[in-house]
Amino acid sequence: MSFRNEPILELRRAPLRESLLEALRSLDERLPLSVPMLVGGDSASGAGFESTDPGRPQRVVAEAARATEADAAAAVEAAQRGFREWSARPAAERAEVLRRAAARLRERRLELAALQVRECAKPWPEADADVCEAIDFLEYYALEALELDRGRDIVQAPGERNTMRYAPRGVAAVIAPWNFPLAIPCGMTAAALAAGNAAVLKPAEQSPGSAGALVDALHEAGVPADALALLPGFGEVGAALVRDPRVHVIAFTGSAPVGLEIVRASSETPDRQPHVKRVVAEMGGKNCVLVDADADLDEAVPGIVHSAFGYAGQKCSAAARVLVHEAIADTLVERLAGAVEVLRVGQASEFATEVPPVIEREAQERVLRYRDLAGDGVVAAAEPVPDEGWFAPPTLVSGLPEDSPVNREEIFGPLLSVTAVRDLDHAAEVVDSLPFALTGGLFSRSPATVERVAARLPVGNLYVNRGITGAMVGRQPFGGNRRSGIGSKAGGPDYLLQFVEPRVVTENTMRHGIPVE
Amino acid sequence: MPGRSRHPLRALDQKAMELASQDQQLRAALFRFVDVTPACRNLDDLARHLTAYLEEVGERPPPIEAAMRMSGTKPGRAALGAAAAAGVRHMAHRFIVGETPRAALKSIRHLWENGAAVSLDLLGEATVTQVEADRYAERCMDALETLAEAAPRWPDRPALEADSLGPLPRVNLSVKVSALSPLLRPEAPDVGRDDAARRMRPLLARAKELGAHLHIDMESVDTLEATLDLVVDLLDEPEFRDGPSTGVVMQAYLRESPEQLERVVEWARATGRQPPLVVRLVKGAYWDHEVVEARQHGWTPPVFEEKADSDRNFELLTRRLLDAWPHVRPAIASHNLRSVAHALAANRAAGREDRDLELQVLRGLGDDLAAALATHGMRVRIYCPVGDMVAGMAYLVRRLLENTSNESFLGDQQRGVPIEELLAAP
Repeated sequence: MSFRNEPILELRRAPLRESLLEALRSLDERLPLSVPMLVGGDSASGAGFESTDPGRPQRVVAEAARATEADAAAAVEAAQRGFREWSARPAAERAEVLRRAAARLRERRLELAALQVRECAKPWPEADADVCEAIDFLEYYALEALELDRGRDIVQAPGERNTMRYAPRGVAAVIAPWNFPLAIPCGMTAAALAAGNAAVLKPAEQSPGSAGALVDALHEAGVPADALALLPGFGEVGAALVRDPRVHVIAFTGSAPVGLEIVRASSETPDRQPHVKRVVAEMGGKNCVLVDADADLDEAVPGIVHSAFGYAGQKCSAAARVLVHEAIADTLVERLAGAVEVLRVGQASEFATEVPPVIEREAQERVLRYRDLAGDGVVAAAEPVPDEGWFAPPTLVSGLPEDSPVNREEIFGPLLSVTAVRDLDHAAEVVDSLPFALTGGLFSRSPATVERVAARLPVGNLYVNRGITGAMVGRQPFGGNRRSGIGSKAGGPDYLLQFVEPRVVTENTMRHGIPVE
Repeated sequence: MPGRSRHPLRALDQKAMELASQDQQLRAALFRFVDVTPACRNLDDLARHLTAYLEEVGERPPPIEAAMRMSGTKPGRAALGAAAAAGVRHMAHRFIVGETPRAALKSIRHLWENGAAVSLDLLGEATVTQVEADRYAERCMDALETLAEAAPRWPDRPALEADSLGPLPRVNLSVKVSALSPLLRPEAPDVGRDDAARRMRPLLARAKELGAHLHIDMESVDTLEATLDLVVDLLDEPEFRDGPSTGVVMQAYLRESPEQLERVVEWARATGRQPPLVVRLVKGAYWDHEVVEARQHGWTPPVFEEKADSDRNFELLTRRLLDAWPHVRPAIASHNLRSVAHALAANRAAGREDRDLELQVLRGLGDDLAAALATHGMRVRIYCPVGDMVAGMAYLVRRLLENTSNESFLGDQQRGVPIEELLAAP
């Protein structure tokens, strides 16, 4: 059995586009969705909080129960029971359950894409890709878990038998973001479960609906209720999970401040906690695209624009800066400016939309604040944007000093800053000076330059002569270095290792001086 | 029409292409070099890029080894850079008729005098901004004006100027929808279509006044729906129902091409458009792009993956196109002698005159075929790209790919594959 990515929809075909619009109409009739809290066999619904459509904030997409710190404790307790049951099942059986969950998501893929359009204002191509990525994570980790279950070949010597196997750690707390509302919670949860752990999922408060659909699919596929809990809620629930001494692994994707707080809090190891917690954290980025003088601008311009403004720049992999060789800087800025001006800003439900609203008012205000900081540096924007909804105009800025906050801090919105550099060594120094190292891009047609830059840049994922977003499970294992993340790459061959502990058994095979093997 | 050139540089680039067709790595190195040429800042930069690509070639033939040795010193690189630049320029001149329509007039007239009409194609960089789209539309307008001013002074060539349905314009321009708008998106074809239509209307209006022909080229499947819709919508507008003469393209490598042709022919039949729509039948030039894109995404490629299937479909569509006459005017664009011969024979079998069939070739690839067809009094048109080196590079690379492909008719022909084999049914 080999892994194959779930094909994205061929949206250049009109009938497929129509099928998505039909799914959206049908979803709209069922809104608001109700998302319960699921702990053990108990399901608690209730209007704790709401998720709304960022493009039409008065539209309520989901009403979710709101978990408390006490609920977090109960969920971990249930998960301890669930762990015993789930980890006792053979790896092949667990893998089969995950693959059934993948099939369940596949059956519902149009509806789940529509849900992201509404709940997170994710445009169709990206919403569809997110559902596919969720399916990929389930399929990929199912296969990887089988591989891991076989253990590793280690050195053997006469008279002894050495085996190295991997055992699940226990209870995993999964704290997920809203920007890939199905794929990221799915990836972290699927990895924990595939390796034999129990999982407690705390989704982002902006996207409980997608998380609810994920947990439903996993339970329907056969994950025991105790082995997977859903805790819709806010930061205090995540913090309670991180502190809980019965939690073994914390898988987190989100902002750097929260990630670093998790690293700090989880390192406290009280006496009653018989283990050291493991943290897998994917955090922010300030991702740079380097453009050399010999770059093909016909490819660079669309690649950069899509990387910076797709989903309004709300991807940790999104391009935030362009570092361009001074010989072609003016030409590139002129073409980028024109390309930014024609960006289609609108509702995510429209196929023509390239830049949807950002997730919430606070995000809108943050982007506009950075835009003000850029002052005269603004060279182009796609304006005006609609009044209703949390829209922020896609904006291109240029020539800001290196120490401008616009150039240093993660904005997580549709704002791209261009800086001219003397050469690519200069560009590499700029990248080095940033605290992040998630993705990077390089446009160059010189094999020597590609090799040199690839060796030099610290980023976790470097993309050459293409856009820098859209990592595919298995093909582009994804994750950053430095302050962008700790742990190994999601969707890659090392990821599951973080959810297991290795055990080596050495057996003496000699009896009375005779090898009995 | 000139016969096979004895120009020494022609022999040189023929040699380069022969080497390239024999070795995939060398072929890749050649394309990458041609592609980067306009972006290189000086001869030294050019030579460094060239040698970097050649370093990736496993077994280097002696002339390549000699080139690599030159690159060790600065004067050596300058000489190598100059030679390579001259080589690329010469290759470009083979495929590109001039930097501007005005500069191309002399060649166009020469072709006309020798019995071949042309369709001018304006090469350009990708259109990513409105300014670039406006500039392309202006260049199209300028091309129409320039050709229309010169064309009346060309001598009479009755074979090129009328078929049995009526007169044929001397001025013929091919335009690309993707160059007329920065807004073409595969998942939202209507936005790009409307934006391109805004720039296409003045071109159609001027072409109508000047009695010129406008041909809307077909590109990759990503822009297919926008392109076909654009043509049908615009030509249905009252202002354009009776002209100008226009045309569309059908790509025989597309699995869905029979249905597309059906749609176009039905539309032509229903509207009774005069002058009749010209339908240019081609194999299709984006095969690698379509296959790689589809495979990357896990889709069924929209094109036939076996060349013989494309060839068979080409013949099927040829017959359907001939059946659709006089509602459409067929134009068969191929360098494959079998495809051309099939079209000629099928046209005669249908009881039509030779002048009711147009045959088209590409500048630089089909020149000999065009000369031969013109000698026999056939109506032949040469697709002639115009533009500078930067603009022309993407086009040039595509043509080189075609000319060095192991599957291409021309490649087979150059390698001396026997004529019986070349003419065998696909």
